[in-house]
Amino acid sequence: MSRPERGAPASRGTKPSASELRGTKPSAPATSLTKQRAVKRWPRLVAVGVRTHVTYMSRSPLEITFAVLVPLVYATLAVYLFRAAGDPDRLLTASVGAGLMGIWSSVLFGSGGAVQNQRWLGTLECLVVAPTRLPLVLLPITLATSVVGTYSMVATVAWGWLLFGVPLHFAHPVLFLLAVPGCVLALGAMGLLLAATFVLMRNANALANALDAPVWLLSGMLVPVTVLPAWTHPLSWALPTTWGARAVHAAASGGPVAAPLGLALGLGALYALLAVAVLGRVEARARAAATLALT
Amino acid sequence: MRQLVRTARLVVIGGGISYRALFNWTTPSMFIGTLLVGPVLQLLFFVYLGRQLHVADDRFYVLGNAVLASSTACVYGGTMAVANERRYGTLGAVLLSPRRRAPLWFGRALPYVLNGLLVSGFTLAVAALVLGLPVPADSVPQIAAVLVAAAAACSAFGLALGALGLRFRDVFLVSNVAASVLLLLTGANVPRATLPPWMQAVGEALPLTHAAAAARRAAAGQGLDTGLLGAELAVGAGYLVLAVLLLSLFERGSRRRATLDVL
Repeated sequence: MSRPERGAPASRGTKPSASELRGTKPSAPATSLTKQRAVKRWPRLVAVGVRTHVTYMSRSPLEITFAVLVPLVYATLAVYLFRAAGDPDRLLTASVGAGLMGIWSSVLFGSGGAVQNQRWLGTLECLVVAPTRLPLVLLPITLATSVVGTYSMVATVAWGWLLFGVPLHFAHPVLFLLAVPGCVLALGAMGLLLAATFVLMRNANALANALDAPVWLLSGMLVPVTVLPAWTHPLSWALPTTWGARAVHAAASGGPVAAPLGLALGLGALYALLAVAVLGRVEARARAAATLALT
Repeated sequence: MRQLVRTARLVVIGGGISYRALFNWTTPSMFIGTLLVGPVLQLLFFVYLGRQLHVADDRFYVLGNAVLASSTACVYGGTMAVANERRYGTLGAVLLSPRRRAPLWFGRALPYVLNGLLVSGFTLAVAALVLGLPVPADSVPQIAAVLVAAAAACSAFGLALGALGLRFRDVFLVSNVAASVLLLLTGANVPRATLPPWMQAVGEALPLTHAAAAARRAAAGQGLDTGLLGAELAVGAGYLVLAVLLLSLFERGSRRRATLDVL
C-alpha cells in the first residue's frame, strides 16, 4: 500500500526545522492533488486498520475474556438483581445494559492498552514517525476495541435468552441493529480522545481502571441517569456513551432512537476532532520531552 | 532461635522486596487510580443500582463493596507475586534458592493483606463520608477484624491463582474471571438468598463471602460473629494450603519439563 507523500527530508548536515522535528507538517507545501489523494485513502486506511486490529484482538484470550466472560458475569448479576427487584419485564434491559458496559470496558482498556502495548512492543515511535497522521493510525485501534466490545452485547443478550429465558422482544429490532453500530462508532471516537491522553500518560491504566464504573453510572447503561444527583446531569449529557446507551435501550425497550443516536454520533465526531487537536499537542510534547517510549 | 529469625526475615523482608518489585501498581498514580479511586467509584455504581432497584439499602452495598475492595489488591497482587517472576525472567533465580518454599511464598502474600486492608478501610471511610452513613464507633474494631480476615483469605486465594502462573501462560485471564466471580457470588452486591443454591454453595467456598456477612452484622450492632469470622479464616487457610501445594507441584513439574521460564 502506497502512503501519502510528505515534504522532502532535510538535507544531510543541515539543522531540521521545528516543523520537521515535530513531524506534524511537511517542510514543503503539499500540492492539493496530493492532499486529495491522501484524503481518499483515509477510509481505506481506517477500514484495513479496523479489520487488522479486530482480527488481532479476537485472537487474544485476554481480550475475549474482557469482551465476553466478564460481561457475562455482569449480565448474570444484573438479571438476578432485576429479578430480586420483582422487575422481570426489564430483564432485556439488564442484558442489553450489561452488553453496553462490556463495550465501554473494551474501549476503555483497549484504547489505553493499545498505546501502552505499542510502547511495550517498541512500535509507538514507528507509528508516530509514520507518514500517516497519528490520529488516523490510532482511530482504527480505538474503533476495533469498540467493535470487539460488541461481542459482549451479543454474548449478554444470547446468555440472557439461553440461560434465563429472557424474551428477545425488541421494540425496534431493525433500529437496534442500527443503534448498536452507531453506539460503537461514537464510543470508538471517544476512545480516540482517551488514546490521545494515554499517549502522554505513562501509566494509562491508572486512569482506565478508575474510569470504568463512573461512565457506566453517568451514561445510564444499567441505572437511569435520573437516579443520580442533579449536578451530575451535565456530565452525563456531555458523554457520547449516554446518548449511545439511550438509543440502544430505546431500540430494545421502546422510545425515540434517532435523536439520541444522532446526538451520540455528533458528540462522537466532536470528541474525534478534539482528539486530533489534542494528539497534535500531545505528540509534540512527548517528542520534545522524549517521553514517548518511556514505560 | 536463629532459624526462626532467618525465617521471619525471609517472610517480612523478602515479602516486602517482592511486593516492591512485582506489584505493578506501586507507582503513586497507579495505586491511587486503581486501588483507591476505582473501588470507591464501583461502590457508588452499586449503591445507585441498589437505590434504583430497591433490592437492598445503601448500608448493604457500602459494607459489601468495602469488603470486596480488597479483592483488587489481593487477587491481582497474589497473582503478580508469582506470575510476574516468570514474566520478568526471575523465577529461575527464586527457585534456585535453598530456602523453604512455604515461608518464601507466604511472605509474598503478606504485603497484600496489609494493602487490601488499607484499600477496604479507605473505601469504607470515603463511602461513609460521601453517603452520610456513619459507622458506629463501637463497631469499628469488629469491622476492622473482619476486614483483616477478608484481606488474608483473599490474598491466599490470589496466591493460589498465582500458582497457576507456574503452569499456565495466561494466568491473568484466570484472575480477571475470578475477580468478577467474587463480585457475583460473595453476596457483596447480590443478596445471596436470591441466587440459586449451587451459586450459594460455590460462594461458601470463596473468600469474602463470610466476611461480607460478618461486616454487615457488625455494622448493624449485632456484634462480631465469630462463626462467620472463623469460616472466613478457614476458607483463607484452605486456599493457603492449596497455594503451597500447587506451587510445590508446579515447581517440580516445571523443573522436570524445563519450562520454568518458558512464556
